[in-house]
Formats: sequence, structure tokens, C-alpha cells
Amino acid sequence: MTIHEKTLIDPDRLLTSDKLVVDGVDVSGQWNTMILPRTLKDYDPDFQNVIERYGGAENVHRCWQCGSCTNSCTMYALNTDFNPRYWIYLTLLGLKQELLKDRDIIWQCVSCNKCTNICPKDVRPEGVMKALAHWIEDEGYREKSHSSLFDEEFTRQCLDRGRIEDTELMTRFFRDTRQSLVALVRRGWLGVFVARMGKWPLLAEGHLAKFLARVPVAGPVRMLAHRLFKPRTQSWGRTGEVLRQYVQEQKEAAHA
Amino acid sequence: MPDTVLVVGAGPTGLSAAAGIAAVGKKVVLVEKENILGGAPIISGYARLVPSGEWAKDAIGRMVGRVEANPAVTIHKNAKVAQLDGEAGRFTATLTNGQTISAGAIILGTGFTHFDSINKPEWGFGTFEDVVTTTQVEQMVAAGRIACPSDGRVPERVAILLCVGSRDRQIGREWCSKICCTVSTNLAMEIKELSPKTDVFIYYMDIRTFGLYEDKFYWKSQEEFKTKFVKARIAEVTRAPDGRLLLKGEDTLVKRPIVIPMDLVVHAIGMDPNLENPQIAKVFGVGLERHGFLDRGEHYTNTFSSTRRGIYVGGAALGPEDIDSSISHGLAMALRAVGDLGALDHQAA
Ligand SMILES: Cc1cc2nc3c(=O)[nH]c(=O)nc-3n(C[C@H](O)[C@H](O)[C@H](O)COP(=O)(O)OP(=O)(O)OC[C@H]3O[C@@H](n4cnc5c(N)ncnc54)[C@H](O)[C@@H]3O)c2cc1C
Ligand code: SF4
Ligand code: SF4
Ligand code: SF4
Repeated sequence: MTIHEKTLIDPDRLLTSDKLVVDGVDVSGQWNTMILPRTLKDYDPDFQNVIERYGGAENVHRCWQCGSCTNSCTMYALNTDFNPRYWIYLTLLGLKQELLKDRDIIWQCVSCNKCTNICPKDVRPEGVMKALAHWIEDEGYREKSHSSLFDEEFTRQCLDRGRIEDTELMTRFFRDTRQSLVALVRRGWLGVFVARMGKWPLLAEGHLAKFLARVPVAGPVRMLAHRLFKPRTQSWGRTGEVLRQYVQEQKEAAHA
Repeated sequence: MPDTVLVVGAGPTGLSAAAGIAAVGKKVVLVEKENILGGAPIISGYARLVPSGEWAKDAIGRMVGRVEANPAVTIHKNAKVAQLDGEAGRFTATLTNGQTISAGAIILGTGFTHFDSINKPEWGFGTFEDVVTTTQVEQMVAAGRIACPSDGRVPERVAILLCVGSRDRQIGREWCSKICCTVSTNLAMEIKELSPKTDVFIYYMDIRTFGLYEDKFYWKSQEEFKTKFVKARIAEVTRAPDGRLLLKGEDTLVKRPIVIPMDLVVHAIGMDPNLENPQIAKVFGVGLERHGFLDRGEHYTNTFSSTRRGIYVGGAALGPEDIDSSISHGLAMALRAVGDLGALDHQAA
């Protein structure tokens, strides 16, 4: 018999064989595909506590599974596998393996907070999505996301110097995320972005002087200088060190 | 020493209290702000009551008739208490109609206010004519015809949304309104009786048909009247191009989005604290609990006491309540109040 909706079955539960003998009877040819039953074997009740310790997920235990978050969700409208209600349920029961099947989409939450506004129990599902995404990275189930890498660089500069340098931030971000600046301008979103600033047409139409007049000069020069000399905010002193230590302490206290 | 008890509110609670007090030979002054007696079931025109199945106008009508016919009960309609002086045993109440009343004890049966569905705009009430509340459907059933308000057609599909204005932190309503599950399963059967071709769907998070209401309403509605129960809290109600309503949500059991056309959408509205409670608390010097209902004292031995001596609170003034319980509260309060009068007589002698 054929399986009509193979897509609904996890691949690791599909067993196929060319030759199959069941209880001494050769059933090859008729039964070459078997599905392993899906059985929940255990709960990890501590998992909820782990997730609650991330900022924003403090209320996850309140969820009563009404589904309002999911059915209001921006991402769910695009992809019905993106289901905050379901992931919250898995979190409460500690069904981590089930949750990890969606490790590659959980981070896609766009923080529109529609879920937060509709949730009758004030669970704040947006915060839970962020917490789950962080947990997945922290445990190494996924590479660090672009936004995490950006955050890290941003925070590092803030703490080191009390300010951020846009050029340094962006070049390091592109490096860490292995994106080529040239390729991005030529074929990627950066090119589109620049084109939308409406300057290319001037060049294309041969108005070189007009084009150059519109290209900022002072700014980039200053940026370059800052890139080389890395100035710090006045009297920044040990502030960064103290902040870094404080953040560390808070993290340790939360996850202890 | 006054031998009179002041009863405020002539709903099931107040009517039951008044009848009880009169039955043991004491006098009652009954003050009601509306121009009719009977409380929510009469004012809002409910159809058949749960669990008795009797028409509200008959059942509550009997309660009204019994009190009206009793010479020991003086009734003031269109009136409220404007000012209260004195203390337990010797209260003096000044009514808005200018009368003053001496009473030994006071019973508050001031009830609840229906949730106003306008406060949940995503569910379409006030935007689409065919989104109505349970009170409107009660009135349709009482009138003997289920119809879509927009064009009078008989609906093919009706959706009842539970917990509208209850169990919702977003709008500060952290209580279950207790009776709406039972009322809704009952309405589903009544709709089916009036229009056998109509399919009724109930969208729920939990079904709370407590105690003996389980089989009599929930099971019967499902088994005999084929009401469909869908576990989903609807995200929004919109309108399809053909004019029908569209329910959008997630069916949590099949883990799939739903977009289902309906002809009539019914909000199972909850019971809010009486809008006038802050004013009532001030006039009578009694406390409010944290949801805004009237607060009560220790219940085990100081049963149905408010936070002030000599004043009792019961029925839906205390929190969401059904009629049968409200009637019991009324009678229990009658006993407390009459007991107070007796105790004071005793002291005076
Ligand atoms: C849609 C719906 C359907 C329901 N159907 C059922 C059912 O079938 N069976 C059932 O058991 N329960 C039902 N209930 C619940 C039922 O309505 C309540 O249990 C009942 O009305 C409570 O009685 P009460 O006297 O305490 O309050 P109310 O019925 O609210 O009566 C209070 C009275 O006090 C008056 N009042 C208020 N403030 C003042 C004031 N300051 N001064 C003077 N008078 C005042 C009001 O005008 C009113 O007459 C239903 C509720 C809803 C919302
Ligand atoms: S914040 Fe995230 S989870 Fe919530 S509705 Fe928006 S995309 Fe969905
Ligand atoms: S809306 Fe809130 S209570 Fe409902 S399923 Fe989502 S998180 Fe849970
Ligand atoms: S009785 Fe039912 S419908 Fe009413 S608030 Fe409670 S759970 Fe919701």
C-alpha cells in the first residue's frame, strides 16, 4: 500500500527495505515500507526552568495552549510550521528532541509582538521565541545567527570604547558572517539598497560632477580616521570593564 | 429597634432574600434602580434557564410575583440608596427618591454588568451586524426565530466563541464567568431545535459545564444535537466577499490554520463586576476585592458578610454566579439579617 502523505512523517521514522521478513513470512514486494510508531518516552520538567531564565521567557509557565499566538503570528501566515503555541507546549513538557526538529526556523521570529498583544495569559510568546533561539545557539544546536554575531560585535565595541564605529561594525559583521561586500553590492541586497538611494542614474546619464557632489566625502574620511585610531568616549575609563563584569554576574546568577 | 431589612437589587438574589425575610415575619424594603424587578434574566430577556429549562419570564416571574404580593415587602423602583448613616442595628438610608428608611441590616444583591464585546474589536462585534452576543441569541430564542440581523436569513452555520470577556489578562478579566459554557451548550441545542438544518460550532479553550451540567448540557449538546466542539481561540472575525463572516484561527488539535465561513458568530459574554461597584462601595462603606466585585468577610462562621458589620453581600455581586446559587445566597443572607435583628432586640431587652 502506498503512503499518501509521506511528508507528514518524520524521515527517521520511515523504514524501507528491499527484502522484509516478518515472523518468518517473506513480505517483500508488498510491505517494503514501515513506519516506526511515534511514542513520547519521557519529559524533562527542568527544561521550562532553563528557558525561563532567559530574559523575556519568564512567563512561559502560564501558557494554557489556546493558540491565539500562533493564529495571530506573522511568520505562521507564511509557514505553518512556525508555531509558537506548539513550541511553548514542548517547552513546558521538556520535549527537547521534538523542539529541535524546528531548530532551523525558530529564530525567524520577527518580533512583531502580535502574539504578545493577543495572549490572554500574558505569556509574552515573542520573548519565549527569543529565549528558545538563544538556547539553541548556546547549546550548539545551530551556528550563531547573524543577529547574534551582530549583537556580539556591537556590544564589544560599546564596552571597549563607549561608542560604536559603523564601518568597523559592518566590516567585521560581513567578515564574521562570511559575506563578501563586493558580491553584496553587485548582486545582493546592498546593491539594491544603494540603487534605491537614487545615485546610480546620475552616473549612468553621465552627470559625473552632480554625482560626485552628492557623494559624501567628509563622512567617509572621518570614518576612516576613526577606523584607524579607534577613539573612545571621553572619560570612559574602567566603565566598560565594570559593565562587562556586571553583565557576567547577572548571567551567572540567572543560569546558576 | 428597627424590624426592617433593607434589600438592594431585585434580581434573583435580592428577590430570594426579600421572600425569606418576609417569610419569618420581618419587614423588607426592596430598592431597585430599574423600573422592573427580576434582575438580568428579566431585564436582558433570557430565554429558557439552565438547568431547569423553564422560561425566564415564568421562573423569575414567579419570584417577582411572590415578593410583590407580600404586604411585608415595600418596593421602591427607579431608586437607589444615595446616603447611608448609622451602624449595624440602626442604619438610616436616604433614597434617591427622597424617602428615608430605617433598617437593622442591609443585603446587597446588586449583581453584575454584562461584558461589552466592543472591548474585543478583533472578534467583530460592532463591526459586523451578524456578530452578536449570547444575550441577543437568548432574545431570538425567546422570540422563536434564529436569524442573521443583517438580512433576516436563517443561518446555515453558527459559531459560538466561549470566554469573550473572561479569562483574559489583556483586558484585565482574570476570572471565569462560570455559567457561559453551560448557557452556550444549551443555546446550541435551542438553535438546533428552532432550525434543525443549522450547524452549530463551539470554539473553546476548556469546557466548564460544572457538576451535573456535564451530561445534561455538554454531552447532550454533542451527542444528541451534534454540536461540534473545536479547540481553538479565534484570532479574528472578518468578512468574506460573499458577505459571510470568516473565522480565522489555529485548530490546535490538528495543528492547522482555519479559515471557516459562518453566518452568525455569537460571543459568549462574561459577567463583569457591576459598573456601579465603586459608587456602591462608597455609599455603603464596603470593600471591593481585586477584580472589582464586592468583597466578602470570613465565610465559614460570618457567612455572606461584607467587609462592614450588618451589611451582607451575595449573588453575582460577589463574583460570577448562577441563578440557583444566587437564590441560595439570598436565603442565607435573609437568615443572617434576621438573626442580627433578633440579637439586637435581645440586647435592648
Ligand atoms: C447570557 C447569560 C445567560 C445566563 N443564563 C443563565 C441561566 O440560564 N441560568 C443561570 O443559573 N444563570 C444564568 N446566567 C447568570 C445569571 O444572570 C445570574 O446568576 C443572576 O442574574 C445573578 O443574580 P443577581 O440577583 O445576583 O444579579 P442581577 O441579576 O444582576 O440583579 C441585580 C439587580 O440589582 C439591580 N441593581 C444594581 N445596582 C443597583 C443599585 N446601585 N441600586 C439598586 N439596584 C441596583 C439591578 O438593576 C438588578 O436588577 C446567565 C448570565 C448571562 C450573562
Ligand atoms: S513576535 Fe514572533 S512569534 Fe510573535 S507573532 Fe511576531 S513573528 Fe510570531
Ligand atoms: S496565546 Fe498565550 S496562552 Fe495562548 S497558546 Fe499562545 S502563549 Fe499560550
Ligand atoms: S464558563 Fe466557560 S465560557 Fe464562561 S468564562 Fe468559564 S470557561 Fe469561559
